[in-house]
Amino acid sequence: MRKFGDFVRRYFTNPYGVVGFAIFVTLLCFAIFAFYISPYKPNALSEDVLSPPSYKHPFGTDHLGRDIFSRVVYGTRVSLSVGFVAAGISALLGIFIGAFSGYYGGIVDEIVSKIIDSFLMIPIFFLILIIVAIFGSNLFYIMLVIGLTTWPSNARIMRAQTLSLKERGLVKIAKSIGESNIRILFSHIIPNGMYPVVANSALQMGGAILTEAALSFLGLGDPNVTSWGKMINEARTYMSFAWWTIVFPGIFTILAVVAFSFIGDGLQHTLYPKLSGVESE
Amino acid sequence: MSYFARYLTRRIVSAVLLIFIVMTLNFFIIHSAPGDPVTIMTGIEQPSKEIVETLKKKYGLDEPVFVQYVKYITNLFKGDLGYSYVYDQSSWSLIKERVFPTLILTLSGSILAFIIGVFLAIFVSHLKTKFGDTIVSIISYILYATPSFWLGLIMILVFSSKLSWFPTSGMYNLRETYTGFKKILDFLHHLTLPVLTLMLIQMPVFYRVTRASIIQNYKEDYVTTLTAIGVPKRKLFRKYIVKNSIIPPLTIFGITLGFSITGAALIEIVFAWPGMGRLMLDAIFRRDYQLLLGIYFLMAIFISVAMILTDIVIAFIDPRIRLT
Repeated sequence: MRKFGDFVRRYFTNPYGVVGFAIFVTLLCFAIFAFYISPYKPNALSEDVLSPPSYKHPFGTDHLGRDIFSRVVYGTRVSLSVGFVAAGISALLGIFIGAFSGYYGGIVDEIVSKIIDSFLMIPIFFLILIIVAIFGSNLFYIMLVIGLTTWPSNARIMRAQTLSLKERGLVKIAKSIGESNIRILFSHIIPNGMYPVVANSALQMGGAILTEAALSFLGLGDPNVTSWGKMINEARTYMSFAWWTIVFPGIFTILAVVAFSFIGDGLQHTLYPKLSGVESE
Repeated sequence: MSYFARYLTRRIVSAVLLIFIVMTLNFFIIHSAPGDPVTIMTGIEQPSKEIVETLKKKYGLDEPVFVQYVKYITNLFKGDLGYSYVYDQSSWSLIKERVFPTLILTLSGSILAFIIGVFLAIFVSHLKTKFGDTIVSIISYILYATPSFWLGLIMILVFSSKLSWFPTSGMYNLRETYTGFKKILDFLHHLTLPVLTLMLIQMPVFYRVTRASIIQNYKEDYVTTLTAIGVPKRKLFRKYIVKNSIIPPLTIFGITLGFSITGAALIEIVFAWPGMGRLMLDAIFRRDYQLLLGIYFLMAIFISVAMILTDIVIAFIDPRIRLT
């Protein structure tokens, strides 16, 4: 437990990590307490159509008179949940596939590595587009698809970790006293090797938020939720005389993604203090 | 040169493999879709009997999935990109005029992003002030987090709607029929904003990789040695550090092309740029999967070729790769 305390303390010495965490906590509060924070219901229509930012409507209103601030606040829910669920699925898959493939080696490992390499070169977004277009666009589907298509970078990290852990004394001792392979994987290799995957997951959360925004912008998002990408899409027609309709959802998207990038880099600095100032890829 | 030949062969084999995997994935995605594959493939609600017959014969749709898959891949490698039943034209005839606009947008955006990103990293590390480094790093974080379509819209809002410096959309001014030099100028005028957007989106990756590689290089043994024998700092930086630091961003140039073609597709949609990205989106909305698969195939080839070309360039710059 002391190790964890050290880890946290080291993380908060990194200014990027602190700022990222602060933005993240703010957005998380927005998402959880959206009902209390937003002055209006996200879909409540009003007479003030396309009115500029004012005391009554801090971010102005859109073409249907809906309060943009309230919509942005509710949009936080969608973006953060997409980030968490998609990156979570990706991390789980990546950890298991990477650990198994690295630990057992052989032909399976060869094939898995080839698949990982190819996946890292394919424009994943198009793959996600075609899947969402065919299977329909409900929010859970979108999260699932993003998770299922982005695990290879986690798997690559976990595989490398496994290959190095496999040669350490800890694992060799466990093997010599007859622990089963599965037990070694789950109680030694995965718990010790997964930290870089966690750092990468923070970056993937940002990526997932951008992907969902792009899908919604293209009109392939979940029609039943208020998302930032959808707001930007709807604002296209009105932006030339109502800049506030497009500027605020975009700024929140950037804030969310920047927060996760900062957190990811902060974690990486904490994990590899020797490399401070150097990002590994 | 035989090392190099072997190296190149290996790259080409892995490129073909990549295309193969992409198309395999696409095939199985379409085949696992709910509903009748023939209807899905044509993209039409009620395909006529002739279409159904042709498709069944072409892909052997009553045979096992594996046989269908083999037929599908053979057709592709024969150069048959499929037939768009929605447009009633072969996919290639629809795609071919879209190739050039996409290529010029993606390549010029990526190359500019590379040059500016690398230059900025070198410049900032040359300044050696913490302040400059922090400012540029934060800007690069922000640009990295910016959705390409949003940045494109903001560009239109600022430079087209408010300032009227650049046209909002399209590739040529449709109201005028320019020829020769004027046509090129008109084209460049339309190209500026999309390329600028793509460049800004791509730049952070190159900046960050170059920056990391410069810092890494300063820790290498050769720097210690050269400093010890009295090579001036300026010369050390210009002649050795810069040269060595360019290789990692160059390596990722090929890999990021996949990412950049995605950004380009969204930017094309925003600027009504007549490239493959827009055609692809239309294909998705009209459920024109044959056309969609054709576009995918072409994009996969494009990315693979670009990756091989970057590998060749790297091999010429870095003898360690060429000779081992």
